[in-house]
Amino acid sequence: MKTLLRFQLNGREVAFEAPPHARLLDVLRDIAGLTGTKEGCGEGECGACTVLVDGRALNSCLFPALEADGRSVVTVEGLASREGGLSELQQAFVDEGGAQCGFCTPGMVMSAAALLAENHSPSDDEIREALVGNLCRCTGYTQIIASIRAAGERIGKAATQ
Amino acid sequence: MAYEYHRSGSLEEALVLAAGDDSALIAGGTDLLVALRKRKRPAPRHMVSIRSLPELAEVSEQAGSLHIGAGVPMADVLANTVVREHLPALTAALAVIGSRQIRNVATLGGNLCNASPAADSAPPLLVYEATLELAGSSGRREIAISDFFLGPGRTVLRPGEIMTAIRVPLPGAGAQSAFLRRSRVAMDLATASLAAAYTARDGKLINLRLAAGAVAPTPLRLRRTEAFLEGKPVAEETLAEAAEIARSEVAPISDLRGSEWYRRELIGVFLSRALRPRSTRMKGSA
Repeated sequence: MKTLLRFQLNGREVAFEAPPHARLLDVLRDIAGLTGTKEGCGEGECGACTVLVDGRALNSCLFPALEADGRSVVTVEGLASREGGLSELQQAFVDEGGAQCGFCTPGMVMSAAALLAENHSPSDDEIREALVGNLCRCTGYTQIIASIRAAGERIGKAATQ
Repeated sequence: MAYEYHRSGSLEEALVLAAGDDSALIAGGTDLLVALRKRKRPAPRHMVSIRSLPELAEVSEQAGSLHIGAGVPMADVLANTVVREHLPALTAALAVIGSRQIRNVATLGGNLCNASPAADSAPPLLVYEATLELAGSSGRREIAISDFFLGPGRTVLRPGEIMTAIRVPLPGAGAQSAFLRRSRVAMDLATASLAAAYTARDGKLINLRLAAGAVAPTPLRLRRTEAFLEGKPVAEETLAEAAEIARSEVAPISDLRGSEWYRRELIGVFLSRALRPRSTRMKGSA
C-alpha cells in the first residue's frame, strides 16, 4: 500500500506516493527524477547519497521516504540557482578540480554545504572531519579539501562585502 | 521487505503499536535498516517509527543529573554544552561513532538498544553509572545500565518496551574521565575500547569505575580491576598488575578486527594510558 507524502524538495512543495519500504533515495531518483543523488554502498558507509533534511546532512539510503513527510529536503540539484547557475561551492569544485569520476561528488558537495552553513572558514582538519562519511576512490581528497576551503573563502568574502 | 510503516504521533501510540504482533521499533534506523538489507534479521510485519517523538527528544539538567531523551540524535548529544563540559568520556565516544550523516539521525537510545558489544556510547555510560528509563504498556521502570545488556543484540527490554531516556549523574568537582578506543580505520567499529572515571585524591584513585567495549558479549564493567585499584596510588607496578587483572577479566573473540590476544593487550594499554597521571588524553582513536 502506498502512502502520500508531501515535503519541500529544493524549495518547492511536492507530493509523491511511496511504498512503506521506499528509501528517500528511491523517491528522489526514481520518482522525482533527480539523479544527482547517487547510490554507492546502500548502507551508510560511502556518503554518495548524502542530502540535507531540515538542513542536516544524512544518508538518504538509510532514511525511510515516509519520514520526509513535512520536512525540507535539499539535493545537489537544489544548490544551483533556478536558472542553473552553480553555487559558489559547486563552482569551487569545478575550479579546484575537486571531481574526477564524479560519482562521490554530489555527496561531497552536500556534506560540504552542511559544514559551510555553520562554519565559513573551516580548518583543513574540520573539513576532513566533516567528510569522514564520504568516500572518494579517485582524488586522494586533496583537491576536494582545496575546493571546500576555496568555497568557504569566497562565501566569507561575499558575506563581508 | 514488505512491512507496514507506522509513524507514531506520541509515546502512548507507539506503545500500543509496539505491543502488536511482529512489530519492530525504528528510531534513527541506521542499524536496523542495514541489518534488514543484509538479511541479518527477518523483516517485521509492522515497523513502528519513534523518530522525533517529543517525549523522547528532550535534554535537560535535573537535580545533578543530565536527562537525555533516548530519541535524541547523537550529533545533538555531542553538541550539548553540559555533555562537553562534564562528560568527556561520552563526548570522546560520540565523536567517533559513524559519520556526521549517521550521527545526525542515529540516536543515543538506539546505540544502546541495538546492544552491539562494540557500542561506543556504552562504556562511558557504564562508568558514569547511567540509569535507563523504560516504558511499556504495563508501566514504566528504571534500570541501571550495568543490568541492561544480556548478550550481542540482547537486552532486558521486554517485547514492546521502549527506552525513553538515559539519565546520567553529573560527576562532582575534581572527577576525571576518559575514553580510549582503537579501530582499523575511521568509521569502523571499535576493535576494543575502555572508559575510565575516577577522582585523584592525594595521588590515589578514588571512586574508580572502568568499562570495556568490544571485548566480551556485552559492554562490561571491570569490577575486579576497579576493586584492585581503588584507593591505591598510581605507580607503574600497580598499573602493570591492574592491566594483568583487566586482561583476564575480559573475554574477547578473534575476528576480522583483531585477535583475542590483541584485544586483551589493547585493554591493558588503554588502562595504563587512562590512569597514568598527566598522560595524554586520547580524543577518539587511541
